[in-house]
Amino acid sequence: MSSIRLNNWHVGWNSSRAQEAAITPTSDPGSAVELVGFSKRFGWNRVLRGIDLRVDRGTTLALVGPNGAGKTTLLKCLATLLQPSDGAGTVCGFDLRKEGDAIRERVGLVTVRGYVYDDLTAEENLRFSARMSGLKLEPDEYRAALARVGLERVADQRVRTFSTGMRKRVVLAQLRIRPLELALLDEPYAGLDTQGMALVDEFVREFRETGTTVIIASHQAGEATRAAEQTLILKNGKLSPMDHDEAARSHLSFDSLGASEV
Amino acid sequence: MTSKSGLANVIGIAALALFLAGSFVGLFVVPADGMQGDIQRLMYVHVPAAWLAFLSFFVVFLMSVLYLIQRDLRWDRVAQSSAEIGVVFTVLTLALGSMWGKPTWGVWWTWDPRLTTTAIMLAIYVGYLAIRSFADDPDKRARWAAIVGIIGFANVPIVYLSVIWWRTLHQPPSSPRSVSPEILWTLMFNLAAFTVIYVYLMMRRIRLAKLEGELEQRMAYHG
Amino acid sequence: MDLLRRSWTIVWKDLLIEARTKQAFNAMVFFAALVLFIFSFALGPDTALLQQVSGGLLWVGIAFTGILSLNRTYQSEETSGGIEGLRVYPGDPRAIYLGKLFGNIIILLAVEMVLFPAAAVLFQIQLLPHALELAGVAILGTIGFSIVGTFYAALTVNLRAREVMLPLLLFPALIPMLLGAVNATTLIVVGDPMLDSGIWIRLLVAFDVIFFVISLWIFPIALEE
Repeated sequence: MSSIRLNNWHVGWNSSRAQEAAITPTSDPGSAVELVGFSKRFGWNRVLRGIDLRVDRGTTLALVGPNGAGKTTLLKCLATLLQPSDGAGTVCGFDLRKEGDAIRERVGLVTVRGYVYDDLTAEENLRFSARMSGLKLEPDEYRAALARVGLERVADQRVRTFSTGMRKRVVLAQLRIRPLELALLDEPYAGLDTQGMALVDEFVREFRETGTTVIIASHQAGEATRAAEQTLILKNGKLSPMDHDEAARSHLSFDSLGASEV
Repeated sequence: MTSKSGLANVIGIAALALFLAGSFVGLFVVPADGMQGDIQRLMYVHVPAAWLAFLSFFVVFLMSVLYLIQRDLRWDRVAQSSAEIGVVFTVLTLALGSMWGKPTWGVWWTWDPRLTTTAIMLAIYVGYLAIRSFADDPDKRARWAAIVGIIGFANVPIVYLSVIWWRTLHQPPSSPRSVSPEILWTLMFNLAAFTVIYVYLMMRRIRLAKLEGELEQRMAYHG
Repeated sequence: MDLLRRSWTIVWKDLLIEARTKQAFNAMVFFAALVLFIFSFALGPDTALLQQVSGGLLWVGIAFTGILSLNRTYQSEETSGGIEGLRVYPGDPRAIYLGKLFGNIIILLAVEMVLFPAAAVLFQIQLLPHALELAGVAILGTIGFSIVGTFYAALTVNLRAREVMLPLLLFPALIPMLLGAVNATTLIVVGDPMLDSGIWIRLLVAFDVIFFVISLWIFPIALEE
């Protein structure tokens, strides 16, 4: 029932011991994410409290929860943008505290607004993203990536002129051009129309086919979240398996199917 | 806990006693310098204050490095305390230096290397304390402060050397030979007295910082 | 090297955006010229005096103008999700420091190319005979300013009173660099019979090297969240 597996961990209840003794979760090749007693606080505000989590490679995790519950914080921690306050974790087998660089090479993060520069064109944004990721692509590969998200006609327009949906598509294109082991999607459906959402679902399907692990934090249900092997609720800084009462209380409407009908 | 505050009290009394003794000797017992007259007696406070200003800053530097390595807030508390005490002594040094300068050189301020460096060090101290006021998160606060403390301190010797090249007005450091033994011993005594004062103030301030930290933590959980 | 390539990508991005929006450069040139003009106005028409202080005035002008550039350094990331947008990529985060540093140096040097001639006119100093040495001093001084400034800008970018904190932290740290730059410039312009400018230039080099090493080393800690 619970998605927590504690094989091979010699962890006492004092999780900071785990950190000191470098007792990390087993770097089991089958796991994409493993967190043990993972906590994150900002000042005295404890956003994530002692989270234990395991996500198997190639599977999808749907993360739900009320606003401000910490879903974005958790995703950012997994992307190594935030350092854990307590506890231990590995992503793709690499330690979160010490091997952040290796993690960033394998992980892609899509935020709600996306890291996109208004005064650069769609293609330039893509080029920036690729180069910063250490990739060297041919110009037509950029074009192809933009065509994949339906932006080939506006490839040379500045992002400032784009709608929210178009902006989001640039972000998706940035994600797509990198070889990833783990894709972190924060509210991927937000701001997208039916076609856009279908695009997200397509991408997630492709990720699953190529064995990329996917974690989606989303209010909205969609094909991708429904296909998830694991669905967890993040509430009061703690993770728990979802039950339907909980879903109703956190205003999650699995009834809004219209949005993602393909 | 009572034994610690008991120890602090003892040191406090010792500090007071040494200070009074040193001041008494400096003011009334030791003969005044032949050339400068009584105004020279200011040196018995000015020099120890300057010594403490720099010692405090060195402690800030050391604690900052320790904090960044170990991430233990205890080091940060010591750094903060030392910075606050150091500011007081820095201002004292500048004020006394200025007071001494007026009758001696005829001006309230000169750009001599030590005074200038001390003034710049004051600015760096103020920056250190100012940046602390912008973070509510104690770890963030400690981290920023540590960075500023380290770079700030690294700057001090460079500033000093630059200003020396730029100006050379300050009295060359009194070497033991050119100063009468009585003046030297009184100076040493006062130096020791001030160091004890520093230790006492530090003990009190660090304890206060610890309590402040606990209060902060409690308010955050209940607020 | 990967670090340099990523730094250069950041420089490319920033310069491209700057070229398109022209926000900072124009404002900076205007501001710099204005500052110099006010200085010369305030000091009056005494040519000898102006020539003597020209080095100081010039570098104060550059420093004030430079602060504008520094404020902008990380501001430009704000609309695109903040500096997270750079930290999310693999590789040494120091590439961010280097990229921003090179960008600042380039823009500041570009402004100085307008500023020095303006100073020549306003302060009635001869620049051309010593153009090479002056260029050398300008480059070393600008590098020094940018090294420390880019670092402190990163530290203060999220603070509420950023506009006050940045100068407060920066100026004491810049004193050796200012001394070096001002004295070297003045000596070159006014006359250097004893070749003292060498000392100041050496000070600038030492300053640049020392603070470059320190800033580069500590930068990842300044970025931590």
